[in-house]
Order: sequence, then C-alpha cells, then structure tokens
Amino acid sequence: MSKKALKVVVSVMLIAALIVSVFGLVQGNLTASASTQKTVKIKFLSNLPDRTSNQGKLEQMLIDSYMKANPNVKIEVEALQDEPYKQKFKVYVATNQMPDIFMVWGQPSFFLPVMKAGYAAEIKLDQIKDYGFKTSSLKDFMYNGKLYGLPRNTDFMVLYYNKGLFNKYKVKVPTTFDELLNAAKVFRKNGIAPIAINGKDKWILAILYQELVVKESGDQKLIYDAISKKSVAKNQILLKAAKDLVNLVNVGGFQDAFVAADYGAANNLFAQEKAAMYYMGSWEVGMAANPNFSESFKKNVDATYFPIISGGKGKKTDILAWHGGGYAVSASSKVKNEAMKLLLYMMHPTRWAKIGWQQGLVVPGQNWEKFMTGKETVLQKKLTQIFSSATSVSGTVWQDAFTPNFKTEAETLCQMLVAKAITPEKFLAKIEELAKLEVK
Amino acid sequence: MHRVLSDKRTILLLVLPGLLIYTFAILFPIILSVYLGMTDWSGIGRPNFIGLENFKKIIFTDTTFWKSLRNAILLALAYVFVQHPIALAFAIFIDKVGGRAEKIFRTIFFIPCVIPVVVTSRMWVSLYDPQYGLINKILDFLHLGFLKQQWLGDTKTALISVIIICMWQGFGWALLIYYAGLKGIPEELYEAARIDGATGVKLYTKITVPLLQPVIKVNFTIAIIYALKQMETVYLTTNGGPGDASQFLANYLYIRAFNSYQYGYANAISVLFVIACLAVNVLFQKIFKSENYEF
Amino acid sequence: MARESSFNKKSRAVLLVVLGLFSIGQLFPLVWLIDFSLCKSGDVYGANILKIPNPPQFINYYVAWKDGKIPQFFINSVIVNVASVLLVVLFSLMMGYAFVRMEWKWSNKVLTYVLLGLMIPIHATLLPNFVIFRQLKMLDSYFALIIPYVAFSLPQAVFLMTGFIGSIPRALEESAIIDGCGIFRILFQIILPLSKPALVTITVTTFLNTWNEFIMAATYLTSDRFRTLPFSVYNFAGQYASNYAVQFAVMTIVALPSLIVYIALNEQVTKGVTLGAVKG
Repeated sequence: MSKKALKVVVSVMLIAALIVSVFGLVQGNLTASASTQKTVKIKFLSNLPDRTSNQGKLEQMLIDSYMKANPNVKIEVEALQDEPYKQKFKVYVATNQMPDIFMVWGQPSFFLPVMKAGYAAEIKLDQIKDYGFKTSSLKDFMYNGKLYGLPRNTDFMVLYYNKGLFNKYKVKVPTTFDELLNAAKVFRKNGIAPIAINGKDKWILAILYQELVVKESGDQKLIYDAISKKSVAKNQILLKAAKDLVNLVNVGGFQDAFVAADYGAANNLFAQEKAAMYYMGSWEVGMAANPNFSESFKKNVDATYFPIISGGKGKKTDILAWHGGGYAVSASSKVKNEAMKLLLYMMHPTRWAKIGWQQGLVVPGQNWEKFMTGKETVLQKKLTQIFSSATSVSGTVWQDAFTPNFKTEAETLCQMLVAKAITPEKFLAKIEELAKLEVK
Repeated sequence: MHRVLSDKRTILLLVLPGLLIYTFAILFPIILSVYLGMTDWSGIGRPNFIGLENFKKIIFTDTTFWKSLRNAILLALAYVFVQHPIALAFAIFIDKVGGRAEKIFRTIFFIPCVIPVVVTSRMWVSLYDPQYGLINKILDFLHLGFLKQQWLGDTKTALISVIIICMWQGFGWALLIYYAGLKGIPEELYEAARIDGATGVKLYTKITVPLLQPVIKVNFTIAIIYALKQMETVYLTTNGGPGDASQFLANYLYIRAFNSYQYGYANAISVLFVIACLAVNVLFQKIFKSENYEF
Repeated sequence: MARESSFNKKSRAVLLVVLGLFSIGQLFPLVWLIDFSLCKSGDVYGANILKIPNPPQFINYYVAWKDGKIPQFFINSVIVNVASVLLVVLFSLMMGYAFVRMEWKWSNKVLTYVLLGLMIPIHATLLPNFVIFRQLKMLDSYFALIIPYVAFSLPQAVFLMTGFIGSIPRALEESAIIDGCGIFRILFQIILPLSKPALVTITVTTFLNTWNEFIMAATYLTSDRFRTLPFSVYNFAGQYASNYAVQFAVMTIVALPSLIVYIALNEQVTKGVTLGAVKG
C-alpha cells in the first residue's frame, strides 16, 4: 500500500500546508508592505478607545501632530476599554513584553509592581523641570526616588447634577447628607433616578465609601491608617460611614439595579436626563461639550461638592483628589528614546494641559489656571472652583493604596455591602481580615 | 487487509498533525499551569515554589471557589431539569405538528444559537435593565408589576437571571438534538405500542423516552460540560456580581489571574477546575449506567 | 413520521399556538434589539415595549459600520474561521478514522487523551500560550487564533467523528482494500462522502464556537489588522455606551452574517446537527 498511501499523505499535508500558507501569505504581504519604508514604529497602549471625544480625542490629536512633525515615526495605537485594558496590561506585564509607551494608573495597586520589576523606563527629573508638575502629583509615579511615569490629569470626585430636574421638582441642590436623602426621596416619587452610579465597576463604590468616611471624620488619613494598623472592625467612624452608604441605598438613592450598571449605562442615564445626579470624577468634564449629548442636557449639567454630613467633622472642601491616569515608557523597548521623546512631547504643558483644557476635554495634571480663557464651560468653571478651594485632598484612594489583590477583594466587599449581601459590621470585619492578609 | 489497517506510518500520518497541534496548544500550557499552580507567581518576576499551599487555601478557605462550583452545578441542573424537559417536549411538539410548520419552528428555535454571545449577552443586559429594559416593561404591561425585579443587580436574582440567559441561548441545540433522536425512532415501535393499547402521554413515557436514552445521554453530557465551562455570558453580564453571587469558575480564575496579580493561585484554581470537570463527568456516567432501560 | 391518523386538527391547532407563543418568546428579544437600533438613542427609555421608528434612523447603522470598522473585522473573522473549520474537519476525519478503523496498540489511550480536551477551560491556557506564541513570534497574527481554535475544537470533533465512523458499515472499505486502495483513497473517496452529516455538524459547531470567541482574540492580538468581530464589538459597544441606538445597530450588524448563513443553509445545518448528534 505504502507508495499510494504516501502519495495521498503527501497531498493531504500539502493541502493543509496550502491552507495555512495562503493565510500566512496574506498576512506576510501586509507586513512586508508595511516594513519596506524605514520607519520607527512605536507601540502605544491606551485605555481610551473612543478617539473622537474627551481624552481619547486629545491623545489621538497629539499622536497625529507628532507623526506629522516626525514623518519617520509611525505610532500604532492599541486602545481598549478599562477592564480589557487592565487584563491585557497584565498579560504584557506577565510576559515582560511591554508596549513601547503605555497608559498607567499611578496607584500602588497598579503601577508599583511594574516599577519594582523594572519594566518602566526612568524619566529624568531635569527633563521635566519646566513642565509644571507639582512634586506631590508625581508621588505615585515614583519608586526609590526615581520617576517612571507622568500623570496626565488631576482627578477629583464631584457630584454632577441636572439643574433642570432640580428646578422642575423644586428640590434644593443638597449640601448635607440629609438633604441628599430627602432629594433622593422626591426624585424617586417622581420616577427619576436620584444618583446614577456604575456599581458593576465596583471601584466607584469604594471611592464613595471613602468619601463618606472623610465627610464623617474630617480626617483624610483615617481609612489608610486603620487598614495599615489592621484595626478596622471596631472603628466607629468607619462603621458609621458604611451605615450611611447602606442608608443611601435603602432610600433608593441610586438608580434601580445600580449594582449591575456599567460605566456607560450610568453615564447614559444621567446624560439622557433620567437621573438627577451623577457621582463621578473630574474626568467627565467633557460632558458639557460632548457632541453626542443633547443640548438640553448640556444646558442643565452642573457640578457641586459632595454634601457634608451633619454631625460629621468633614468639610465640603475636604475632597477626594489624586493623579490617576498617566503614561510610562517601557524600559526594554527597542525604541525607548523615541518613545520617551513622544511622551515628553505629549505631556509638554503647551500640549496635553493647554490644548486639553482649552478644548474642554480634560482637567490636566499640571496647573491649568494659566490657560484659562474665560470661554470655559460651566463644568470647567465649577470644577476649577471646587478644586482650587480644596482644604485637604486624599491622594490615591484607599483601595488602590495597597496590593492588587487587596483592591480586587476590597472592591468586591464594597459591592456586597451595597447589594446587602453583608452587613456593615461584617463588611468591616472582612476588610480587617483582608488587611491582615495583604498589608505588610 | 490487516497489514493496511495497521500500517504504523499511515497511522502516524493520520493522527500526528491533529495530535501535535492539540498537544502544543493545550497540553503544554496545562503542564505549565500545574507547575505554576504550585508557585506564588504574581505574574511579575520569578515564581517561588510553594508546593500545595495554593490548593490547600482554595479548598479550605476560598468560599468564592466553592460558590462558583456550586453555581456551575446549579446551571447544569437547570439545563438538565428545566431546559431539557422543555426542549424534549417541544421537539415532540414540532415533530407532531409536521408540514411546513415543522420546518419553520425548527428554524426559529435554533436562531438564538447562531447569534454571537457578545451580542446576546449585551442584549440581555439591556433587556434586564430596570430603567428601560423589556422584561420589567412587559411585567407592567401584563399588570404583574409586583414581579418586577432588579434582575442582575440583586444578589437574590442575579444567578437565576444569568441562568435564564444561558438556557435561552442553548435551547435550540438541546431541542434539535432531541428532535433528531425522535426522527431516528422507527415508526413500527409506535405501531406495536399502539396495538398494545398505549396512547397519548403514555406512549411517550413508555416508548419515546427510553428509546431516546442514548441521545439524552449525549445531550446531558454536552450540557454539563457547557455548564462547568461557562465563562462568556457571565463575563459579559455580571462579571460574577453582585459580590460573588453569580460567579463561575472560569470567570473567577480569570479575575484572580488578571485583576489580582495572583497568577499561581489562578492556575491552581484551573487545575482543580479540570479535576472537578472530570469528577462530575465520571459521576454522571456512573449514574447513567446504573439506570438500565429495557426495551 | 406520519402520525396524523391518531392526531386530530384541534390538538394540532393547540400545538401550533403553544409553539407560536414560545417562539415569540425566543425571538422577541431580537426584534426588540433591531427595533430600537432604528430609533433615536433616548427612545429606548420610553414606556412602550416596541416603538415604530419614525423616521427610521439609518444613520445609526452608518455610524456603526464606519466607526466600528466592521468590514475589516469581518474579513479577519472569516479568514480565521474558515481556516480553523477546514483544519478541524480535515484533522478530525483523519484522526477519527485512525481511532476507529486502524489497529494499533495505543489507539484507546490516545483517544482518551484527546477527549480530555473537552474538559479543559481555555482560560487555563491563556498566559502560557501567550508566552509560547511570543517565543515563536506568532502573536498578532492569524495563526495565534487558528492554532488554539483548532486545538480546542478538535476534542469535540473527534468525539463526533469516532462515533460516526463507527456507524458506517465496513463492507465498502473491505472491498476497496481488496481492490488495492490505500487508506487515504478510502478516507477521501469513501469515508468523506459518507460522513458528510457529521462533518456538517463539526463545521457548524466549530464555526459557532470560534465565531463567538473573544477572550483569546483579546489576548493574542494587538492590532486592529487581525482583530476579529466579537472582541471589537465588545470594545466598540463599550465605547458607544452612551448611545444605545448605535450600540444596538452594531450588535445587529454582527448578528446578521451568521443569521443569514444559517437561514440560507438551514436544511443542511439541521440535518448535519441532527444526524451527527444521533450517531455521535
């Protein structure tokens, strides 16, 4: 048999090889045509897949202008939503295969392991001495006194609200927690979701919890200290804040099924004027200029401080603020110098900060007040005022201040708290248990 | 002839290409996974060997692991005791209806199976949405407002809501396979039974179900494997939440590996996961074997 | 089966109603999706269960098509899926035959080894494979998807094929062997045509599984050039989170190809699935 069989075998293998190589060729050709020109290719990993509005628009704008100014440079952007971004980032990290330039959250739970492992390239401080970064804003991008990343924004939490809805139902914009609870009841009665929140994303719940802790205690350090000292369960202020949060859930303070709502769903609910308030960070400053939103919404959107709690020690100007998102360059990149140049180009104060602010796309990481033109949107003005009036700021939020697993577990616990799967007491006990495991 | 059928070279050529690709893309990684499961690797730097530490931790202290396994088993039970009886009943209905209707309904019921999971999952998230979702609106429309739920947003209903999506999506497969089984039962057997005086429902419980036994077995096996390996739907709808109320193993190990930087631990989960799959299947085969139908 | 004799018109009507109601239940979500993909984004918040789009907002589809880069992802999906399906069909046929008909010592052991693959979650292999593919410089290429897709589809395909080939009478092959045919001629001239139903089943299952897959696609691919549809849709839908109508339009567009293929090949698919399943 063997001769005939062999022939057939050979032809089968050939067919298989053919199938594979046809696709290989298609692909090979594509690659070949791309590599004939002598270009520097920079891989850029971004968490902003929307390249037409907000920060994504700004990022793309700067990338385009850089390529225009440097025709030999080709920048390939891989842009993913936050969650897939985090997962993909970890794949790159685990295989020590970092893209040449990448977005990072300057938080110990995210960036510290990367800096420790030596995967990010050092940025010499004298290279950015004229960039206008405050030393405090660089803190979480530093390790052992060396700088590894640059923050792009100033992030702080505010309460966005819809003026139109507050007027229509004759509700006063809440300045105290009790007023907030009452406002929630009125909006509920009228079929309007009081506060839109993206509970599926969990992190927002942890931040809101910290907000309440700060408003109860007036002490920005309290939550971090309690966790570091592993004395969480018996802390009355932490307990009170957890109860406040549950209380807000109980009066229907958030939209229905807020625990299952993702970022887009919550944002949309507010933008469609179906929710009166929206608890979110300053990075949503672009809402007032977003072409996808209705004129009526853009006219009505406004922002205010998170309310204080009567009996609590926190002031409305004790705010949660940090420098989260930023960029870093890979230490093992073959085009490290080029990537570094790109980073320094983008983060130059006349670009990210100035252009970003003047187009109403971001609240920059550097001081932006000198770029004010007077033509700012309401949100820009309000946010500037809220931030500049701050009497204390939190820095990196509590769940991000420790290990990656601490973050995952703590956020899940927060979600369980608001879903009433655990009591406030149990919540604190679990956090303490977690701190003992994760915090050295 | 024996020589032809036992020619070593031919056998090698037939089996090798598939075997290589399978070994390369599945066995190698799994071996690596067993090793990594015995380390504390975070995904960065060097792994430290810690023996069975991870396994002990998972088995004795990880409640989410057990809950995920329980949820998978609940999904499997839902398939077997809810989806499949309905699918079998509808297969019988379709078979009985005959004519053009038979073909049309057969087609309709399979449609959800051919829609990408990404689409159906996102669609169901919208359907369940309490603000604008279809489900609560229909309950209102039917004056059943008191049945309205927060669906995916409530620990009490999240799991069942996810299970409903899975059952909806996979219904067509189960139905079509039963339908095929029905078509394979020779008409004479029914005739014989009718002569013996069996009619209606009895005809089905006495003849159809026993004769379908091999099909039912295949169908159950597929359903159980699918239930245990469930990932996409959960990932795209609740991501296991609220808390870990609707968590499933594959999704849980993904979170551990990619959100918590606990790659070693996640690999230990996946090793236990494979073992659990094998155990459930062996158990299931045993149960099935002990029930012998006579015909 | 012709059972009309004992089956009157009245109960047929009842059955039709039951089936009709249930199929509305099965299809209504899709109708809802398409309906609101043609409305304005905010319309979905209205009180109505369905809404007549007035006028239909075809712009949603335009935006989805353009911004979603649908054509490119679609072509990638087709390339990856066609290659995977062809290879799975070829390999499972070859392996199925070797396991069932050929006589060798290790046959059962190797078969068990392959069938173990049914139980293995893909997620356990994500990172190791990422490392391996990187070493082989296969990341961000069609191979990075084709290879794992073939590997993960093979166990089930082999499972079906062994069952099916086992049910084919040996007589034809025996006479062919006596006539001096080699194994490969037997395989492709006798077994292949006879196992068409099983091969259709394998094609359908493999296609549906790989067409849906997005976690490997998200992990192994980095550039849009090779991206397949599902992940892109996931990413895109997230990006258009604030515009439900466009999101729904993208979802409809993505659901269409498989739907059209299914409706066109409905008979073959049904036959394939049913025959393959029963014999398997």
